[in-house]
Amino acid sequence: MLSVEALTVRADGVELVREVSFGIAPGERVGLIGESGSGKSLTALSLMGLLPEGVSATGSATLQDQPLLGVPDKRVKGLRGRVVSMVFQEPMTALNPTMRVGAQVSEVMTLHGVPRAEARERALDLLGRVGVEAPRAYPHQLSGGQRQRVMLAIALANEPSLLICDEPTTALDVTVQKQMLELIVELAPAVLFITHDLAVVASVCSRVLVMYGGRVVESGPLREVFTNPRHRYTEGLLAASKLTPRGTRLPIIPGAVPSRFPSGCPFRDRCAHASPACESDPALTGEGHAYACWHPRD
Amino acid sequence: MRGNLVIGAVLVGLTVVAALVSFVWTPHDPTLVDAAHRLAPPGGDYLLGTDKFGRDTLSQLMVGARTTLYVGIVAVGIAAVIGTPLGMLAGMTPRGWLSELIMRVNDLVFAFPALLLAVMLGAVYGAGTLTAMIAIGVATVPAFARIARAATMQVMVTDYIMAARAAGRRGPAIALRHVLPNIGSMLIVQASVSFAIAILAEAALSFLGFGTRPPTPSWGRMLQEAQELLFSTPRLALWPGLAIALAVLGFNLLGDGLRDHLDPKLRRIRAER
Amino acid sequence: MISYLAKRVAVLLASTATAGVVVFAFMALLPGDPAEVALGVNATPEAIEALRRQWGTDRPPLTQFLDWIGGLAAGDFGVSYVTSSPIGQQIGERLGVTLTLVVGGMVIALIVAVPAGTFAAVHHRNPLGALISAASQVGIAVPAFLAGILLVFVFAVQAQALPSGGYVPLTEDPSLWFQSLLLPWLSLGLVQGAVLTRYVRSAVLEVMREDYLRTARAKGRGRMGALWRHGLRNAAIPVVTVLGLQLATLLIGAVVVERVFVIPGLGDLLLNGVAQRDLLLVQGVVMVLVVAVLLVNFVVDVAYAVLDPRLR
Repeated sequence: MLSVEALTVRADGVELVREVSFGIAPGERVGLIGESGSGKSLTALSLMGLLPEGVSATGSATLQDQPLLGVPDKRVKGLRGRVVSMVFQEPMTALNPTMRVGAQVSEVMTLHGVPRAEARERALDLLGRVGVEAPRAYPHQLSGGQRQRVMLAIALANEPSLLICDEPTTALDVTVQKQMLELIVELAPAVLFITHDLAVVASVCSRVLVMYGGRVVESGPLREVFTNPRHRYTEGLLAASKLTPRGTRLPIIPGAVPSRFPSGCPFRDRCAHASPACESDPALTGEGHAYACWHPRD
Repeated sequence: MRGNLVIGAVLVGLTVVAALVSFVWTPHDPTLVDAAHRLAPPGGDYLLGTDKFGRDTLSQLMVGARTTLYVGIVAVGIAAVIGTPLGMLAGMTPRGWLSELIMRVNDLVFAFPALLLAVMLGAVYGAGTLTAMIAIGVATVPAFARIARAATMQVMVTDYIMAARAAGRRGPAIALRHVLPNIGSMLIVQASVSFAIAILAEAALSFLGFGTRPPTPSWGRMLQEAQELLFSTPRLALWPGLAIALAVLGFNLLGDGLRDHLDPKLRRIRAER
Repeated sequence: MISYLAKRVAVLLASTATAGVVVFAFMALLPGDPAEVALGVNATPEAIEALRRQWGTDRPPLTQFLDWIGGLAAGDFGVSYVTSSPIGQQIGERLGVTLTLVVGGMVIALIVAVPAGTFAAVHHRNPLGALISAASQVGIAVPAFLAGILLVFVFAVQAQALPSGGYVPLTEDPSLWFQSLLLPWLSLGLVQGAVLTRYVRSAVLEVMREDYLRTARAKGRGRMGALWRHGLRNAAIPVVTVLGLQLATLLIGAVVVERVFVIPGLGDLLLNGVAQRDLLLVQGVVMVLVVAVLLVNFVVDVAYAVLDPRLR
């Protein structure tokens, strides 16, 4: 259904996302994980055609055979909010503070041709389904969790075939997080779920893509990648997220995400297994469970 | 935008130099009435020509710069000296009755623009440079009080103020040693912007006859005298008009430039909030 | 909303009363007795005493103040010491002229600033946007009376298309009325427009970075559509504050511009009053101008609450 081929995002000649390819089948929920700066949000924004000024994407991306990249905004904006929707990280600022939430939900429907009265009725229904029965409230009168659920109602209003979620629960309390995730699983069609929280991915997704330095370094079925990671970065990421018994040192990935990644394998300057071979680019290889590493974990 | 800072500094510098030089030298006596050289054209002995009394325009402009800066310095000085401590006081006790009182009085003073104050002062004491300076200064107090209060409130919640308070330092000591140095940059920016407004106000007051009295040259009055001759000798309006606009532009650009220049620090204060 | 309004009204009334005390106290400081000043040095003590009694200046200050402020509330400003005509009536005649100037100037300022500021924000990365910013910076440096003189030079002296001054009432000849006010409107409006352009630009720039604008685009709006539907109302919130300050500036600017164009408005009345030492008249006009500024502040506060639901 969604097919991304060789997606590359550049700003001022610097490649922020490089040759990313993946697909999502109808109804599938795919996780996109990695540290901040890995290029996951840019990947999502380029699919929405919402890259910031001065940042541009090349490659190809099609959703239900309709191109998302390399076409003028006039054509893509007809798809946004109708065929593909997005829920953002920051619920506190994502809603217009001067507009009632009901109007903000119905707007996305009238914008794509639903008659006003019908849109208003469906907005009520949608808000009820996400559990925010206050269409006349202004955003500041709602909690962060409620606002994020309003965002979800907006995103799902036109029954899109793909929902992109960019860290939708990161800013929320743990209990509210859980409700939100359950709602997404219950209501959403196919999902591309971006997060750095591995536990969240595990509870939502069936397949996972691991990004580092603007590249997909490992991909495959969630269970396989999480129990048997091959890429050294994925290994480190999983180790860092495990709860460790008292007294043992928490394993961490040495160093921080650099501002410029090295040539060849982007992880080699932080990797304990790096060798001269890593100076050349490893390809993402493997059927089903694929990885791009010269010295994979056995 | 380093350009703002440079252009602003150059324009302000020009005004200051013209004023300073006028103390020791001007091409002619700026107040000398010389019937023989009335409305002399620019060039020759009179670089920018003379007015209807035969006074040299360039000399008048130079001494006018002095008047403008004098009024600006005193007015902004009054505003800073009164407004800053009041604003800091209000900012250090943001929920107290004193803070509320200061801000209410501030709002009230705000309803009396410089021109009205000058007219009232002028009606009572007779208009002149002094009443103009006081009027502009008092009318500018709210601007300083507001910026000082806002900046102080930001500084007060930073860790080092908390530490100073925890160490038992008293209010006045905190204000002088910690708050003032940290809000200084914002006050300097405000001073520059207020200076530009003071120049505009002085020019308007002199234009109306509520500012500097004759024969002391002032740009605003030069304009007023030029207006009746606009049909025959428009250049008389050109030079003082240009002088006012360039001086105001200079102080505004300087303020903007300083703000951008000092911004990293301002941003840090904001981030620490 | 109701309690917010009530609080604002209370603040307005309290400020007005305090302003009245300040204005009155200020004028009471005037050295010399108005009756003595009016009759000159050769007047007999009896004549001065009689005039004092007639004007009521022989009474204690507090009585005079209460009388004056009570009269104001009823629209009675007293009788001029110089012309013996009712001050309220004179102010009424002049107020209309000044308000026409201010409103016209504001309209021009908005017509200039909203499109120019929005354009400069949307195109802040290209030269045309930078040019607008630079032009507004220059415009800010020009006081309204200087703009007036420049406009007179261009349109009256050079082009001879418009009068250099004077005023024709609307009831007399609408066309000449418009011509007599066009240059004053422009001198006030262009300068304030330059100031306002900067604020509109920074407000729109700020709003353009807001997450909810990205949300609007994610719903399927284009860049400009999102800005129009979701950005402008939010950008209007900071601009309205400035607009209030500007109205006050315009009111004072009008006083000066009336001088440039010889227009019989409140400014003209005020300055003549000072020149003739017509104390009660000056007191009345100052009070009207101050109350006008306070009223504008009040309207701004209310407009704020209407625009921003978070304040209600």
